[in-house]
Amino acid sequence: MSANMSVAVGGLTLRGPVLAASGTFGYGTEVPLLERRALGGMVSKGIFLRPREGTAPPRIAETPSGMLNAIGLQGPGVEALVRDYAPKWAEWDFPVFVNINGETAAEYGELASRLDGVPGVSGLEINISCPNVEQGGLYFGNDPRAAAAVTEAVRRRTKLPVWVKLTPMVSDIGVIARAVEAAGADALCAINTFVGMSMDLNAYRPRLSFRTGGLSGPAIRPLAVHLAHQAARAVQIPVIGIGGITRGEDALEFLVAGCAAVQVGTATFGNPRAIAEVHDGIAAFLASKGLASLSDLPRYLPRD
Amino acid sequence: VFLVDAGITAKRKVARDMFVISMDAPEIAASVRAGQFVNLGWTNGPMLRRPFSVYRAYGDRIEIVLKAVGEGTAQLLAMTPGDGVSCLGPLGHGFGISAGPKTAVLISGGLGVASMPLAAREAHSLGMRVSWVHGARSADDLCSESDGDDVTWATDDGSKGFRGTAVAAAPDADLVLACGPNRMLAAVADRWPDALVAVETYMGCGTGVCLGCAVPLKHGGFDRACTEGPVYRAADVDWRALPSQLSYAVTV
Repeated sequence: MSANMSVAVGGLTLRGPVLAASGTFGYGTEVPLLERRALGGMVSKGIFLRPREGTAPPRIAETPSGMLNAIGLQGPGVEALVRDYAPKWAEWDFPVFVNINGETAAEYGELASRLDGVPGVSGLEINISCPNVEQGGLYFGNDPRAAAAVTEAVRRRTKLPVWVKLTPMVSDIGVIARAVEAAGADALCAINTFVGMSMDLNAYRPRLSFRTGGLSGPAIRPLAVHLAHQAARAVQIPVIGIGGITRGEDALEFLVAGCAAVQVGTATFGNPRAIAEVHDGIAAFLASKGLASLSDLPRYLPRD
Repeated sequence: VFLVDAGITAKRKVARDMFVISMDAPEIAASVRAGQFVNLGWTNGPMLRRPFSVYRAYGDRIEIVLKAVGEGTAQLLAMTPGDGVSCLGPLGHGFGISAGPKTAVLISGGLGVASMPLAAREAHSLGMRVSWVHGARSADDLCSESDGDDVTWATDDGSKGFRGTAVAAAPDADLVLACGPNRMLAAVADRWPDALVAVETYMGCGTGVCLGCAVPLKHGGFDRACTEGPVYRAADVDWRALPSQLSYAVTV
Protein backbone atom coordinates (compact mmCIF):
# COMPACT_ATOMS: atom_id res chain seq x y z
CA MET A 1 0.00 0.00 0.00
CA SER A 2 1.40 3.37 -0.86
CA ALA A 3 0.09 6.38 1.00
CA ASN A 4 -1.67 9.28 -0.69
CA MET A 5 0.98 12.01 -0.60
CA SER A 6 -0.95 14.85 -2.21
CA VAL A 7 -1.42 18.07 -0.26
CA ALA A 8 -3.46 21.23 -0.74
CA VAL A 9 -1.19 24.20 -0.11
CA GLY A 10 -2.00 27.85 -0.49
CA GLY A 11 -4.03 27.90 -3.66
CA LEU A 12 -3.15 24.64 -5.36
CA THR A 13 -2.87 20.90 -4.87
CA LEU A 14 0.60 19.37 -5.00
CA ARG A 15 1.11 15.71 -5.84
CA GLY A 16 3.61 15.45 -3.03
CA PRO A 17 4.69 17.49 -0.02
CA VAL A 18 8.33 18.01 -1.03
CA LEU A 19 9.36 21.06 -3.04
CA ALA A 20 12.77 22.25 -4.20
CA ALA A 21 13.79 25.42 -2.34
CA SER A 22 14.67 28.68 -4.03
CA GLY A 23 18.34 29.24 -4.76
CA THR A 24 19.24 25.56 -4.64
CA PHE A 25 17.54 24.41 -7.82
CA GLY A 26 18.37 27.18 -10.28
CA TYR A 27 15.54 27.51 -12.78
CA GLY A 28 15.05 23.75 -12.76
CA THR A 29 16.74 23.37 -16.14
CA GLU A 30 20.28 22.91 -14.81
CA VAL A 31 19.52 20.15 -12.35
CA PRO A 32 21.07 16.76 -13.02
CA LEU A 33 19.10 13.58 -12.37
CA LEU A 34 15.80 15.39 -11.88
CA GLU A 35 13.42 12.86 -10.35
CA ARG A 36 10.11 14.46 -11.23
CA ARG A 37 7.89 11.80 -9.70
CA ALA A 38 9.04 12.90 -6.24
CA LEU A 39 8.84 16.63 -6.84
CA GLY A 40 5.74 18.35 -5.47
CA GLY A 41 6.96 21.55 -7.08
CA MET A 42 9.90 23.89 -7.24
CA VAL A 43 10.68 27.48 -6.40
CA SER A 44 12.97 29.29 -8.83
CA LYS A 45 16.09 31.21 -7.94
CA GLY A 46 15.12 34.64 -6.64
CA ILE A 47 14.49 37.20 -9.34
CA PHE A 48 14.48 41.00 -9.42
CA LEU A 49 12.93 43.21 -12.10
CA ARG A 50 16.35 43.90 -13.56
CA PRO A 51 19.46 41.74 -14.02
CA ARG A 52 21.79 41.60 -11.02
CA GLU A 53 25.45 40.69 -10.92
CA GLY A 54 25.52 39.32 -7.38
CA THR A 55 28.30 39.60 -4.83
CA ALA A 56 32.04 39.16 -5.30
CA PRO A 57 33.63 35.81 -4.44
CA PRO A 58 34.13 34.03 -2.11
CA ARG A 59 30.38 33.54 -1.91
CA ILE A 60 30.15 30.33 0.08
CA ALA A 61 31.84 28.75 3.08
CA GLU A 62 31.17 25.34 4.54
CA THR A 63 30.52 25.31 8.29
CA PRO A 64 29.74 22.51 10.75
CA SER A 65 26.71 20.68 9.29
CA GLY A 66 25.92 23.68 7.18
CA MET A 67 27.08 26.38 4.84
CA LEU A 68 27.08 30.15 4.60
CA ASN A 69 26.17 31.77 1.32
CA ALA A 70 26.13 35.32 0.07
CA ILE A 71 25.23 35.08 -3.60
CA GLY A 72 23.45 38.44 -3.66
CA LEU A 73 20.55 37.26 -5.82
CA GLN A 74 22.52 37.12 -9.05
CA GLY A 75 20.02 36.74 -11.84
CA PRO A 76 18.96 37.69 -15.35
CA GLY A 77 15.92 39.82 -14.43
CA VAL A 78 12.26 39.11 -15.01
CA GLU A 79 12.22 39.70 -18.76
CA ALA A 80 14.79 36.95 -19.39
CA LEU A 81 13.05 34.66 -16.91
CA VAL A 82 9.74 34.99 -18.74
CA ARG A 83 11.42 34.58 -22.13
CA ASP A 84 13.93 31.79 -21.40
CA TYR A 85 12.52 29.68 -18.57
CA ALA A 86 8.74 30.04 -18.26
CA PRO A 87 8.06 28.35 -21.63
CA LYS A 88 9.99 25.30 -20.41
CA TRP A 89 8.10 25.28 -17.11
CA ALA A 90 4.82 25.31 -19.00
CA GLU A 91 5.72 21.86 -20.34
CA TRP A 92 6.46 20.38 -16.94
CA ASP A 93 4.10 18.28 -14.84
CA PHE A 94 4.85 20.04 -11.53
CA PRO A 95 4.20 23.64 -10.52
CA VAL A 96 6.96 26.25 -10.57
CA PHE A 97 6.82 29.17 -8.15
CA VAL A 98 8.94 32.24 -8.84
CA ASN A 99 10.78 33.73 -5.86
CA ILE A 100 10.37 37.52 -6.25
CA ASN A 101 12.51 40.31 -4.80
CA GLY A 102 12.52 44.08 -4.80
CA GLU A 103 14.01 47.13 -3.18
CA THR A 104 10.58 48.71 -2.69
CA ALA A 105 7.05 47.39 -2.23
CA ALA A 106 6.23 48.87 -5.63
CA GLU A 107 8.94 46.76 -7.29
CA TYR A 108 7.44 43.60 -5.80
CA GLY A 109 4.05 44.69 -7.13
CA GLU A 110 5.50 45.36 -10.57
CA LEU A 111 7.07 41.89 -10.63
CA ALA A 112 3.76 40.32 -9.62
CA SER A 113 2.00 42.04 -12.46
CA ARG A 114 4.70 41.02 -14.97
CA LEU A 115 4.40 37.37 -13.91
CA ASP A 116 0.60 37.21 -13.62
CA GLY A 117 -0.84 35.04 -16.36
CA VAL A 118 2.55 33.96 -17.72
CA PRO A 119 2.20 30.30 -18.80
CA GLY A 120 4.55 28.15 -16.73
CA VAL A 121 4.38 30.34 -13.62
CA SER A 122 2.11 28.64 -11.07
CA GLY A 123 2.63 31.01 -8.18
CA LEU A 124 4.84 33.53 -6.44
CA GLU A 125 7.02 33.22 -3.39
CA ILE A 126 7.67 36.68 -1.95
CA ASN A 127 11.20 36.85 -0.60
CA ILE A 128 11.26 39.30 2.30
CA SER A 129 14.09 37.46 3.97
CA CYS A 130 17.23 37.49 1.83
CA PRO A 131 20.13 38.49 4.09
CA ASN A 132 22.49 39.16 1.19
CA VAL A 133 21.22 42.31 -0.50
CA GLU A 134 21.95 45.89 0.50
CA GLN A 135 18.42 47.14 -0.18
CA GLY A 136 15.15 45.38 0.58
CA GLY A 137 15.36 41.74 1.57
CA LEU A 138 15.53 41.36 5.33
CA TYR A 139 14.34 44.91 5.89
CA PHE A 140 10.84 43.94 4.75
CA GLY A 141 10.94 40.68 6.65
CA ASN A 142 11.48 41.93 10.17
CA ASP A 143 8.94 44.72 10.23
CA PRO A 144 5.28 43.60 10.24
CA ARG A 145 4.03 46.76 8.49
CA ALA A 146 6.65 46.55 5.73
CA ALA A 147 6.01 42.80 5.33
CA ALA A 148 2.28 43.43 5.01
CA ALA A 149 2.81 46.31 2.57
CA VAL A 150 4.88 44.10 0.24
CA THR A 151 2.36 41.28 0.48
CA GLU A 152 -0.52 43.66 -0.28
CA ALA A 153 1.34 45.19 -3.22
CA VAL A 154 1.76 41.72 -4.71
CA ARG A 155 -1.73 40.50 -3.81
CA ARG A 156 -3.34 43.45 -5.62
CA ARG A 157 -1.43 42.75 -8.85
CA THR A 158 -1.88 39.00 -9.31
CA LYS A 159 -4.40 36.19 -9.21
CA LEU A 160 -1.61 33.65 -8.71
CA PRO A 161 -1.15 31.90 -5.36
CA VAL A 162 1.07 34.09 -3.17
CA TRP A 163 3.44 32.52 -0.66
CA VAL A 164 5.63 34.61 1.63
CA LYS A 165 9.07 33.37 2.70
CA LEU A 166 9.84 34.52 6.23
CA THR A 167 13.14 35.30 7.89
CA PRO A 168 14.18 33.69 11.16
CA MET A 169 15.93 36.92 12.18
CA VAL A 170 12.98 38.26 14.18
CA SER A 171 12.03 38.29 17.84
CA ASP A 172 8.51 36.93 17.21
CA ILE A 173 7.81 35.21 13.89
CA GLY A 174 4.13 34.98 14.80
CA VAL A 175 3.74 38.76 14.51
CA ILE A 176 5.11 38.78 10.96
CA ALA A 177 3.15 35.64 10.06
CA ARG A 178 -0.15 37.21 11.14
CA ALA A 179 0.65 40.47 9.36
CA VAL A 180 1.25 38.81 5.98
CA GLU A 181 -1.73 36.50 6.45
CA ALA A 182 -3.95 39.53 6.99
CA ALA A 183 -2.41 41.14 3.89
CA GLY A 184 -3.59 38.29 1.70
CA ALA A 185 -0.88 35.62 1.64
CA ASP A 186 -2.07 32.12 0.66
CA ALA A 187 0.75 30.35 2.51
CA LEU A 188 3.93 31.02 4.44
CA CYS A 189 7.36 29.50 3.88
CA ALA A 190 9.37 29.23 7.08
CA ILE A 191 12.22 29.82 7.16
CA ASN A 192 14.94 31.46 5.07
CA THR A 193 18.59 31.36 6.20
CA PHE A 194 19.99 32.70 9.46
CA VAL A 195 22.58 35.46 9.23
CA GLY A 196 26.00 34.06 10.13
CA MET A 197 29.68 34.82 9.89
CA SER A 198 32.90 32.84 9.77
CA MET A 199 36.48 34.07 9.89
CA ASP A 200 39.46 33.17 7.72
CA LEU A 201 42.31 32.81 10.21
CA ASN A 202 44.98 33.26 7.56
CA ALA A 203 43.57 36.46 6.13
CA TYR A 204 42.23 37.84 9.44
CA ARG A 205 38.94 38.70 7.79
CA PRO A 206 35.56 37.09 7.06
CA ARG A 207 35.57 34.04 4.80
CA LEU A 208 32.85 35.64 2.66
CA SER A 209 33.46 38.84 0.72
CA PHE A 210 30.01 40.08 1.80
CA ARG A 211 31.24 39.56 5.40
CA THR A 212 28.04 37.80 6.45
CA GLY A 213 26.03 35.09 4.77
CA GLY A 214 22.91 33.00 5.16
CA LEU A 215 23.37 29.81 7.15
CA SER A 216 21.58 26.73 5.83
CA GLY A 217 21.85 22.99 6.24
CA PRO A 218 21.22 20.55 9.11
CA ALA A 219 22.87 22.98 11.55
CA ILE A 220 19.70 25.10 11.55
CA ARG A 221 17.10 22.32 11.54
CA PRO A 222 15.91 22.41 15.19
CA LEU A 223 15.79 26.21 15.02
CA ALA A 224 13.76 25.99 11.82
CA VAL A 225 11.34 23.38 13.19
CA HIS A 226 10.67 25.66 16.13
CA LEU A 227 10.11 28.76 14.00
CA ALA A 228 7.94 26.94 11.44
CA HIS A 229 5.90 25.58 14.35
CA GLN A 230 5.53 29.05 15.88
CA ALA A 231 4.41 30.42 12.50
CA ALA A 232 1.94 27.56 12.02
CA ARG A 233 0.44 28.22 15.46
CA ALA A 234 -0.05 31.86 14.65
CA VAL A 235 -2.01 31.59 11.39
CA GLN A 236 -4.78 29.67 9.65
CA ILE A 237 -3.06 29.51 6.24
CA PRO A 238 -0.67 26.62 5.48
CA VAL A 239 3.01 26.82 6.40
CA ILE A 240 5.71 25.23 4.28
CA GLY A 241 8.63 24.16 6.46
CA ILE A 242 12.22 24.80 5.37
CA GLY A 243 15.55 24.33 7.07
CA GLY A 244 18.14 21.57 7.00
CA ILE A 245 15.96 18.75 5.68
CA THR A 246 18.04 15.87 4.35
CA ARG A 247 15.78 12.81 4.74
CA GLY A 248 12.20 11.74 5.33
CA GLU A 249 12.39 11.90 9.13
CA ASP A 250 13.61 15.51 8.99
CA ALA A 251 10.66 16.49 6.80
CA LEU A 252 8.27 14.61 9.08
CA GLU A 253 9.44 16.71 12.03
CA PHE A 254 8.23 19.83 10.19
CA LEU A 255 4.98 18.13 9.15
CA VAL A 256 4.24 16.93 12.68
CA ALA A 257 5.10 20.44 13.91
CA GLY A 258 2.20 21.74 11.87
CA CYS A 259 3.57 22.31 8.36
CA ALA A 260 1.55 21.33 5.30
CA ALA A 261 4.57 20.74 3.07
CA VAL A 262 8.34 21.22 3.06
CA GLN A 263 11.12 22.56 0.89
CA VAL A 264 14.48 20.85 0.51
CA GLY A 265 17.47 22.92 -0.49
CA THR A 266 21.08 22.62 0.62
CA ALA A 267 20.83 18.84 0.94
CA THR A 268 20.58 18.50 -2.84
CA PHE A 269 24.12 19.91 -3.24
CA GLY A 270 25.63 16.91 -1.50
CA ASN A 271 22.98 14.44 -2.59
CA PRO A 272 21.38 15.00 -6.00
CA ARG A 273 18.78 12.39 -5.02
CA ALA A 274 17.83 14.13 -1.76
CA ILE A 275 14.35 15.22 -2.85
CA ALA A 276 13.38 11.75 -3.99
CA GLU A 277 14.82 10.24 -0.82
CA VAL A 278 12.89 12.68 1.38
CA HIS A 279 9.68 11.96 -0.53
CA ASP A 280 10.18 8.19 -0.34
CA GLY A 281 11.15 8.44 3.33
CA ILE A 282 7.88 10.18 4.18
CA ALA A 283 5.91 7.57 2.21
CA ALA A 284 7.72 4.71 3.94
CA PHE A 285 7.04 6.24 7.35
CA LEU A 286 3.32 6.63 6.62
CA ALA A 287 3.17 3.02 5.43
CA SER A 288 5.01 1.79 8.53
CA LYS A 289 2.48 3.57 10.73
CA GLY A 290 -0.48 2.28 8.73
CA LEU A 291 -1.50 5.78 7.62
CA ALA A 292 -3.32 5.80 4.27
CA SER A 293 -2.74 9.45 3.56
CA LEU A 294 -0.39 12.24 4.54
CA SER A 295 -3.46 14.10 5.77
CA ASP A 296 -3.87 11.38 8.41
CA LEU A 297 -0.50 12.24 9.97
CA PRO A 298 -1.06 13.43 13.54
CA ARG A 299 0.08 17.01 14.10
CA TYR A 300 1.29 18.72 17.22
CA LEU A 301 -0.30 22.13 16.85
CA PRO A 302 -1.83 23.67 19.92
CA ARG A 303 -3.35 27.00 18.90
CA ASP A 304 -2.09 30.24 20.36
CA VAL B 1 26.03 13.73 -16.08
CA PHE B 2 26.28 10.48 -14.16
CA LEU B 3 25.99 9.68 -10.46
CA VAL B 4 28.13 6.60 -9.89
CA ASP B 5 28.86 4.58 -6.76
CA ALA B 6 32.56 4.26 -7.47
CA GLY B 7 34.71 1.66 -5.77
CA ILE B 8 38.24 2.79 -4.98
CA THR B 9 40.69 0.46 -6.69
CA ALA B 10 44.16 1.84 -5.96
CA LYS B 11 46.14 4.64 -4.37
CA ARG B 12 49.70 5.70 -5.14
CA LYS B 13 51.98 8.45 -3.95
CA VAL B 14 53.21 10.92 -6.59
CA ALA B 15 54.79 13.64 -4.42
CA ARG B 16 55.14 14.64 -0.79
CA ASP B 17 51.62 14.40 0.70
CA MET B 18 50.16 14.03 -2.80
CA PHE B 19 48.35 10.91 -3.96
CA VAL B 20 46.54 9.56 -6.99
CA ILE B 21 43.36 7.61 -6.27
CA SER B 22 41.78 5.35 -8.88
CA MET B 23 38.13 4.43 -8.90
CA ASP B 24 35.67 2.50 -11.03
CA ALA B 25 33.37 4.92 -12.83
CA PRO B 26 32.83 3.45 -16.31
CA GLU B 27 30.34 6.01 -17.66
CA ILE B 28 32.54 8.89 -16.57
CA ALA B 29 35.75 7.27 -17.79
CA ALA B 30 34.19 6.86 -21.23
CA SER B 31 32.96 10.43 -21.58
CA VAL B 32 35.28 12.75 -19.62
CA ARG B 33 37.24 15.42 -21.51
CA ALA B 34 40.40 17.17 -20.40
CA GLY B 35 39.70 19.90 -17.83
CA GLN B 36 36.42 18.45 -16.63
CA PHE B 37 35.92 17.42 -13.02
CA VAL B 38 33.99 15.09 -10.76
CA ASN B 39 32.29 16.02 -7.50
CA LEU B 40 32.85 13.42 -4.79
CA GLY B 41 30.80 12.66 -1.71
CA TRP B 42 30.99 9.79 0.75
CA THR B 43 29.22 8.31 3.75
CA ASN B 44 29.84 10.32 6.91
CA GLY B 45 31.78 12.82 4.82
CA PRO B 46 31.33 16.58 4.69
CA MET B 47 27.97 18.05 3.75
CA LEU B 48 29.22 19.45 0.46
CA ARG B 49 30.90 17.33 -2.20
CA ARG B 50 34.53 17.98 -3.12
CA PRO B 51 35.48 18.77 -6.72
CA PHE B 52 38.48 17.09 -8.36
CA SER B 53 39.83 17.36 -11.88
CA VAL B 54 39.96 14.01 -13.60
CA TYR B 55 43.66 13.13 -13.82
CA ARG B 56 43.57 10.07 -16.05
CA ALA B 57 40.85 7.88 -17.50
CA TYR B 58 41.35 4.41 -18.92
CA GLY B 59 38.99 1.47 -19.35
CA ASP B 60 36.40 1.66 -16.58
CA ARG B 61 38.54 3.79 -14.30
CA ILE B 62 39.19 7.40 -13.54
CA GLU B 63 41.91 8.87 -11.36
CA ILE B 64 42.03 12.01 -9.24
CA VAL B 65 44.91 13.72 -7.44
CA LEU B 66 44.64 14.94 -3.90
CA LYS B 67 46.46 16.29 -0.92
CA ALA B 68 45.03 16.23 2.57
CA VAL B 69 44.34 19.93 3.05
CA GLY B 70 41.27 19.71 5.26
CA GLU B 71 39.09 17.24 7.09
CA GLY B 72 37.26 16.17 3.94
CA THR B 73 40.34 15.37 1.90
CA ALA B 74 41.90 13.64 4.92
CA GLN B 75 38.89 11.31 5.09
CA LEU B 76 39.16 10.59 1.39
CA LEU B 77 42.86 9.92 1.70
CA ALA B 78 42.24 7.46 4.53
CA MET B 79 40.10 5.28 2.26
CA THR B 80 41.50 2.05 0.93
CA PRO B 81 40.70 -0.16 -2.07
CA GLY B 82 37.25 -1.62 -1.52
CA ASP B 83 35.83 1.58 -0.02
CA GLY B 84 33.34 3.48 -2.13
CA VAL B 85 32.60 7.09 -3.00
CA SER B 86 29.68 8.74 -4.77
CA CYS B 87 31.02 10.26 -7.94
CA LEU B 88 29.05 12.93 -9.87
CA GLY B 89 30.36 13.86 -13.29
CA PRO B 90 31.81 14.62 -15.66
CA LEU B 91 31.09 18.27 -14.84
CA GLY B 92 32.04 21.61 -16.37
CA HIS B 93 33.49 22.67 -19.69
CA GLY B 94 37.01 21.44 -20.23
CA PHE B 95 39.81 22.71 -22.46
CA GLY B 96 37.90 21.81 -25.63
CA ILE B 97 41.13 20.94 -27.43
CA SER B 98 40.61 20.72 -31.18
CA ALA B 99 42.79 20.21 -34.22
CA GLY B 100 44.90 23.05 -35.62
CA PRO B 101 47.80 23.86 -33.32
CA LYS B 102 51.08 22.03 -34.01
CA THR B 103 52.51 22.49 -30.54
CA ALA B 104 51.03 22.64 -27.07
CA VAL B 105 52.58 23.61 -23.74
CA LEU B 106 50.93 22.29 -20.58
CA ILE B 107 51.85 24.37 -17.53
CA SER B 108 50.90 23.21 -14.07
CA GLY B 109 51.64 24.27 -10.52
CA GLY B 110 51.22 21.88 -7.59
CA LEU B 111 47.85 20.12 -7.67
CA GLY B 112 47.15 21.88 -10.98
CA VAL B 113 48.91 18.92 -12.57
CA ALA B 114 45.58 17.12 -12.12
CA SER B 115 44.07 18.36 -15.37
CA MET B 116 47.15 17.82 -17.54
CA PRO B 117 47.42 14.08 -18.40
CA LEU B 118 44.05 14.09 -20.19
CA ALA B 119 45.04 17.32 -21.96
CA ALA B 120 48.28 15.64 -23.10
CA ARG B 121 46.32 12.64 -24.35
CA GLU B 122 43.93 14.79 -26.37
CA ALA B 123 46.71 17.00 -27.76
CA HIS B 124 48.73 13.94 -28.74
CA SER B 125 45.75 12.34 -30.43
CA LEU B 126 45.43 15.48 -32.56
CA GLY B 127 49.08 15.22 -33.60
CA MET B 128 50.47 18.03 -31.43
CA ARG B 129 53.92 18.06 -29.94
CA VAL B 130 53.42 18.40 -26.18
CA SER B 131 55.74 20.29 -23.80
CA TRP B 132 55.10 19.47 -20.15
CA VAL B 133 56.05 22.11 -17.57
CA HIS B 134 55.41 21.41 -13.92
CA GLY B 135 56.37 23.50 -10.91
CA ALA B 136 56.22 23.25 -7.13
CA ARG B 137 57.94 24.61 -4.04
CA SER B 138 60.70 22.08 -4.03
CA ALA B 139 61.79 18.79 -5.62
CA ASP B 140 59.83 16.62 -3.16
CA ASP B 141 56.63 18.49 -4.02
CA LEU B 142 56.84 17.85 -7.75
CA CYS B 143 54.42 15.29 -9.16
CA SER B 144 56.67 12.44 -10.27
CA GLU B 145 54.48 11.55 -13.27
CA SER B 146 54.70 13.45 -16.52
CA ASP B 147 53.39 13.06 -20.02
CA GLY B 148 55.10 15.23 -22.61
CA ASP B 149 57.44 14.96 -25.57
CA ASP B 150 59.69 17.17 -23.50
CA VAL B 151 59.47 17.83 -19.78
CA THR B 152 60.57 20.88 -17.78
CA TRP B 153 60.62 20.97 -13.99
CA ALA B 154 60.55 24.20 -11.98
CA THR B 155 61.04 24.68 -8.24
CA ASP B 156 60.92 27.79 -6.10
CA ASP B 157 64.07 26.73 -4.26
CA GLY B 158 65.92 25.42 -7.30
CA SER B 159 66.18 21.92 -5.82
CA LYS B 160 65.19 20.44 -9.19
CA GLY B 161 65.14 21.90 -12.68
CA PHE B 162 64.49 25.58 -13.33
CA ARG B 163 64.75 27.83 -10.28
CA GLY B 164 61.56 29.91 -10.38
CA THR B 165 58.00 29.55 -11.52
CA ALA B 166 56.59 27.11 -14.06
CA VAL B 167 55.30 30.08 -16.04
CA ALA B 168 58.78 31.59 -16.31
CA ALA B 169 60.21 28.20 -17.32
CA ALA B 170 57.65 27.48 -20.04
CA PRO B 171 58.44 27.73 -23.77
CA ASP B 172 56.01 29.35 -26.19
CA ALA B 173 53.64 27.14 -28.17
CA ASP B 174 50.64 27.39 -30.49
CA LEU B 175 48.36 26.24 -27.68
CA VAL B 176 48.98 27.14 -24.04
CA LEU B 177 47.07 25.32 -21.30
CA ALA B 178 47.55 26.00 -17.60
CA CYS B 179 46.23 24.93 -14.23
CA GLY B 180 47.41 25.91 -10.78
CA PRO B 181 46.88 28.58 -8.15
CA ASN B 182 44.99 31.60 -9.43
CA ARG B 183 48.05 33.80 -8.83
CA MET B 184 49.99 31.62 -11.25
CA LEU B 185 47.17 31.76 -13.80
CA ALA B 186 47.17 35.56 -13.60
CA ALA B 187 50.84 35.42 -14.65
CA VAL B 188 49.87 33.12 -17.53
CA ALA B 189 47.27 35.69 -18.60
CA ASP B 190 49.93 38.42 -18.71
CA ARG B 191 52.19 36.38 -20.98
CA TRP B 192 49.61 34.52 -23.11
CA PRO B 193 46.17 36.24 -23.14
CA ASP B 194 44.77 33.43 -25.30
CA ALA B 195 45.94 30.62 -23.01
CA LEU B 196 43.24 28.31 -21.70
CA VAL B 197 43.37 28.08 -17.94
CA ALA B 198 41.45 26.00 -15.41
CA VAL B 199 40.58 28.20 -12.41
CA GLU B 200 40.22 27.25 -8.80
CA THR B 201 37.19 28.36 -6.74
CA TYR B 202 35.18 27.27 -3.77
CA MET B 203 32.27 25.24 -5.03
CA GLY B 204 28.86 24.39 -3.64
CA CYS B 205 26.71 22.21 -5.87
CA GLY B 206 29.05 21.70 -8.83
CA THR B 207 26.07 21.62 -11.17
CA GLY B 208 25.23 25.26 -11.82
CA VAL B 209 22.38 25.95 -9.41
CA CYS B 210 23.93 27.53 -6.31
CA LEU B 211 26.05 30.24 -8.02
CA GLY B 212 28.65 29.81 -5.28
CA CYS B 213 31.64 29.36 -7.58
CA ALA B 214 31.47 32.80 -9.16
CA VAL B 215 34.28 33.73 -11.53
CA PRO B 216 34.61 37.50 -12.12
CA LEU B 217 34.89 38.31 -15.82
CA LYS B 218 36.90 41.11 -17.44
CA HIS B 219 33.88 42.46 -19.29
CA GLY B 220 31.85 42.51 -16.06
CA GLY B 221 29.62 40.11 -14.21
CA PHE B 222 30.25 36.61 -12.97
CA ASP B 223 29.75 33.17 -14.29
CA ARG B 224 30.02 29.73 -12.82
CA ALA B 225 33.30 27.83 -12.59
CA CYS B 226 31.30 24.59 -12.45
CA THR B 227 29.31 25.17 -15.62
CA GLU B 228 30.75 27.77 -18.02
CA GLY B 229 34.18 26.93 -16.54
CA PRO B 230 36.37 25.76 -14.99
CA VAL B 231 38.38 26.51 -18.15
CA TYR B 232 38.56 30.10 -19.38
CA ARG B 233 40.51 32.12 -21.90
CA ALA B 234 43.10 33.66 -19.58
CA ALA B 235 42.43 37.26 -20.59
CA ASP B 236 38.68 36.91 -19.96
CA VAL B 237 39.03 36.52 -16.19
CA ASP B 238 39.28 39.53 -13.88
CA TRP B 239 42.17 38.10 -11.88
CA ARG B 240 42.26 40.93 -9.36
CA ALA B 241 38.69 40.10 -8.31
CA LEU B 242 39.22 36.34 -8.11
CA PRO B 243 40.44 35.22 -4.68
CA SER B 244 44.05 34.28 -5.25
CA GLN B 245 44.74 32.21 -2.20
CA LEU B 246 42.16 29.62 -1.26
CA SER B 247 42.88 27.88 2.00
CA TYR B 248 43.41 24.62 0.17
CA ALA B 249 45.40 26.11 -2.67
CA VAL B 250 48.88 24.83 -3.30
CA THR B 251 51.42 27.52 -4.03
CA VAL B 252 54.28 27.14 -6.44
